[in-house]
Amino acid sequence: MSSAAFDTIVAPATPVGRSALAVVRIDGPRTSAIIDTLTGGPSDQRIAVHRYLNHNGELLDDCVVVRYVAPHSFTGNDLAELTLHGNPLLVERVIAAAVELGARIAEPGEFTERAVLNGKLDLVQAESIADLIAARTTLQAKLSLTNLRGALSTKAQGIRESLLFVISRLEAALDFSEEGYDFISRAEARAKIEEAIAACRSISDTWRRGRATTAGLSLVILGRPNAGKSTLLNRLVGSERAIVTPIPGTTRDIVRETIEIGGLPVTIADTAGLRESSDVVEGIGIERAREAAAGADIVLYLIDATSGRTAEDERELATLDEPLLVWTKNDLAPAPGLAISAKTDAGVSELLARLDALVRDQFAVPESSATIVNERQRQAITACEQSLEVALQSLDAGYEEPIVVVDLYRASNALGVLTGAITNDDILTEIFSKFCIGK
Amino acid sequence: MFHVERMEQRFDIVVIGGGHAGAEAARVAARGGAKVALVTMLREAIGRMSCNPAIGGLAKGNLVKEIDALGGLMGEATDRAGIQFKVLNRSKGPAVQGPRAQCDRDIYAATVLELLEQEPNLTIVESAVTSLLHDGKAVRGALLQDETRLNARAVIVTTGTFLRALMHSGEVKTAGGRFGEPSAETLSDSLRALGLQLGRLKTGTPPRILRDSVDFSKMEEAPGDAVPRPFSIITDRIPLPQVLCHLTYTGTEAHELIRANLHRAPMYSGQIAAAGPRYCPSIEDKVVRFADKERHQVFVEPEGLQHPWLYLNGISTSLPPDVQDGVVRSLAGFEHAVIARYGYAVEYDFVNPEQLEPTLAVRDVDGLYLAGQINGTSGYEEAAAQGLLAGLNALQLVRDREPVILRRDEAYAGVMIDDLVTLGTTEPYRMFTSRAEHRLLLGCDSVYERLSPIAARLGVLDGERKRRVDGRQERVTRARDLSLNTFLTPDRETVVLLDGMELSISEKSSVAKLLQRPDFNLTRFLDTVSLPGLRAAFEALNEEETEAVVSRLRYSGYIERQEREAAKLSQDEAVAIPAGISYALPGLSREMVEKLSFVRPVSLGQASRIPGVTPAAIAILRMHIRRGVRAAS
Ligand SMILES: Nc1nc2c(ncn2[C@@H]2O[C@H](COP(=O)(O)OP(=O)(O)OP(=O)(O)O)[C@@H](O)[C@H]2O)c(=O)[nH]1
Ligand SMILES: [Mg+2]
Repeated sequence: MSSAAFDTIVAPATPVGRSALAVVRIDGPRTSAIIDTLTGGPSDQRIAVHRYLNHNGELLDDCVVVRYVAPHSFTGNDLAELTLHGNPLLVERVIAAAVELGARIAEPGEFTERAVLNGKLDLVQAESIADLIAARTTLQAKLSLTNLRGALSTKAQGIRESLLFVISRLEAALDFSEEGYDFISRAEARAKIEEAIAACRSISDTWRRGRATTAGLSLVILGRPNAGKSTLLNRLVGSERAIVTPIPGTTRDIVRETIEIGGLPVTIADTAGLRESSDVVEGIGIERAREAAAGADIVLYLIDATSGRTAEDERELATLDEPLLVWTKNDLAPAPGLAISAKTDAGVSELLARLDALVRDQFAVPESSATIVNERQRQAITACEQSLEVALQSLDAGYEEPIVVVDLYRASNALGVLTGAITNDDILTEIFSKFCIGK
Repeated sequence: MFHVERMEQRFDIVVIGGGHAGAEAARVAARGGAKVALVTMLREAIGRMSCNPAIGGLAKGNLVKEIDALGGLMGEATDRAGIQFKVLNRSKGPAVQGPRAQCDRDIYAATVLELLEQEPNLTIVESAVTSLLHDGKAVRGALLQDETRLNARAVIVTTGTFLRALMHSGEVKTAGGRFGEPSAETLSDSLRALGLQLGRLKTGTPPRILRDSVDFSKMEEAPGDAVPRPFSIITDRIPLPQVLCHLTYTGTEAHELIRANLHRAPMYSGQIAAAGPRYCPSIEDKVVRFADKERHQVFVEPEGLQHPWLYLNGISTSLPPDVQDGVVRSLAGFEHAVIARYGYAVEYDFVNPEQLEPTLAVRDVDGLYLAGQINGTSGYEEAAAQGLLAGLNALQLVRDREPVILRRDEAYAGVMIDDLVTLGTTEPYRMFTSRAEHRLLLGCDSVYERLSPIAARLGVLDGERKRRVDGRQERVTRARDLSLNTFLTPDRETVVLLDGMELSISEKSSVAKLLQRPDFNLTRFLDTVSLPGLRAAFEALNEEETEAVVSRLRYSGYIERQEREAAKLSQDEAVAIPAGISYALPGLSREMVEKLSFVRPVSLGQASRIPGVTPAAIAILRMHIRRGVRAAS
């Protein structure tokens, strides 16, 4: 029942390097033959069995073999996983033996590609696997798992089906207008289109969160010279990452470091203190600080409690969109708001709790919701939404049905592109090139 | 060794069958200079309308216009035989408007015969073909029942529903493809011998009623358009008087009667296993499938000006006669109706059309073409369009020239043939506008622009048609260009003038721009503003031409977008798949390999339309072809 058109491939499924265990995957029609030769006899499927691997009279390793028989495997083909001891030399020898027995080394992403070709996964699910493997935080992993289970595809498919319903009714009204039946009213079509637009919006609204979860957030620390920005960065990172001196204007270039806050990777940028400066180098640094703040997801604005809120601070704050105000040097002077002291560590855990809550509220994806996580998905859903809006406009402008359906078809095609029901090979190549070998 | 004296005749092309496909095929090939024999069992049966007495309709009307633009005869014959003309979907925009005409069936058939008899290169042979002559996989002609051999370079088979045809009326079965005509039994064997796979389909007809036995005053009137619009560019005026049709409805009484007798309908009793069309269902199908509908409409159509029969469009059936009597008499106006001929279903062989090239030539067989219902289609117009294309391609073969394949964005005929050879069919295939993804490009109003140049190039457009096509094109282009290049500025005088027509402009606007407004009234505008050149350009147009200009300008944005999309898609159409390719490629499932090997698409574009062939598979194929091309160069 396996597709004879595939050849047999082999690759390590775990990173190369010394570790307790290493997994090698073999996929394709020759899988059983190779395993049988190496283990010296036929083995059961879907049961992990312990076997010695021999090739050309030489012992390679002892390992655990799990066999999956087509179509009941990840790829849909005959597949085996060998769990070896985690020594790169052993792995290399087992792979060389498999190649000698008729397999070839897999291309990056080829296992997942086979799963897509065999209809085991759709594109969004394939992307989720790549994301899952690349996940750096638990939230990222959870999100990838949600989409892998088909949350996004299911939602997109649902919208597509309701559009196809409208299209088919409108088409029937055109091709069977003489039969004397009512297929769909313009008002009914209008309502369905509006519903679909709302559904698309609810998906595209997840972009900010989806992107934040996969690509992470940026947090910029801003403030006047000597406000204690570099000190705070060092405290958050837990190491002396930036130079701290009592001299105002110490930091020039942006210093970045990534930590986890609220389950997401957050890249913190320490910047040059903001002031009028005649120093060319410092001037460039200040300009960069302002640019970074403009593109940031979160801005922390530090005010030195000993000097209080100055006119310069007011000017800067006026240019910022919802910064989080943090008073520093609280050990030296009292402060009216959220305040910290790098000396005593007072207020730092409160600040972290605030940031944690902020990230979870505004950026983290609620568990098990359909979320778009990359630019390809975002473009597809936006294209759908835009076409639906044009369709609605032509409907309202009194255009005839053949014109209205043109844009409904485009919308439905855009959703097809999202799940991979409609695609071109450039997209496929792009997606599968993100995988490491063996996935 | 003894010698048998046999009759032999030499032609370029032999057309088997004188239906709508055969007539178009024979005439166009003859016009192109080929020596053609058309073999028909019955001379009078040429051009016969075996089902409803009407030509055209939604999407089908477009096919008739395409046939006309390509130099075919169906439009002309319809104009001469039409007794009620109507443009359907008038309010739905030009892309989906379909002209339709009720015809006098006797005059229609006589006209087709007359048109064929006028062709000097065409010989009508009244006989039956018993088998095809062939050398292995090269067809050499046809053998007639009197043993005459018609030798030819190409043979076009257009035998409609006659292959192993079986008529069902209730429990009664009769061999035959049409009432009173024998079925062609042995030709099926010839086709099978050439390796073709045949399938089985069914179609049905409604009962015919004696006109004098009904009371029209109890029915609704269904008039045609006040001014009939001809199909053909060659027609100046419709010669026959125009008549009324009528409308009546089935009701609960009929539905109950049908339900009570379902077990006697061949489709339900299991007597017919073949698939019938879903979209042209018999009345028993309608009653079962649309159980919630309280009534179904029935168009009462005259079969001709003098013809004593009426055709009940909407209740095709194969129920037994006693049930048909009851159903018919339950209709308003039909209380005392006399059925002249009972409705029946026909079951027949068809050739799975995936075995054809896009030229309608049988793949791997030299010189054999199939057209019409034999390819699994339904309808006169679908048959005729295929006949025309098969005729053109046989002509090109004989002349040793390039085949003629119409693209999907070029003609409904192109869509239909591509669908047939790519998707095949499991029910009688009917043309719908929704089958065309570039529908906005395929309106009747652009048909001469799109297709007549092709016919002219092939030498099958006669002088008079060509003159008329060119004249039309010139007038239409002139009015279109003037609309685009005539501007109004919002000066005092113009604003006041436009205000009188409830129009306003805030910036310099072309007349074309104004035409895009849904409520723009062109006649009133030309009467009000003083633009003599523009006015003269529009006055030179007839109503249909004016609509063509206006709709082209009004929908220009959409039309241009579809043109761009079509051009983009056509890139894949240009990627040829090598004829001998093996589809056993890594990544293609066994089902896909089988499907591709059966259809054997000529281009990547065609391959992508085969059901079950995924985008991923197309990507693999593309890579493979590229590699092959690189390796070869
Ligand atoms: N007592 C006390 N001193 C602090 C605190 N935070 C920072 N300082 C001191 O303030 C001085 C300036 O600190 P930095 O962290 O370099 O200040 P900055 O904002 O990065 O300054 P620039 O890079 O010049 O813009 C250093 O001498 C720090 O030790 C604090 O909470 N309490
Ligand atoms: Mg600093």
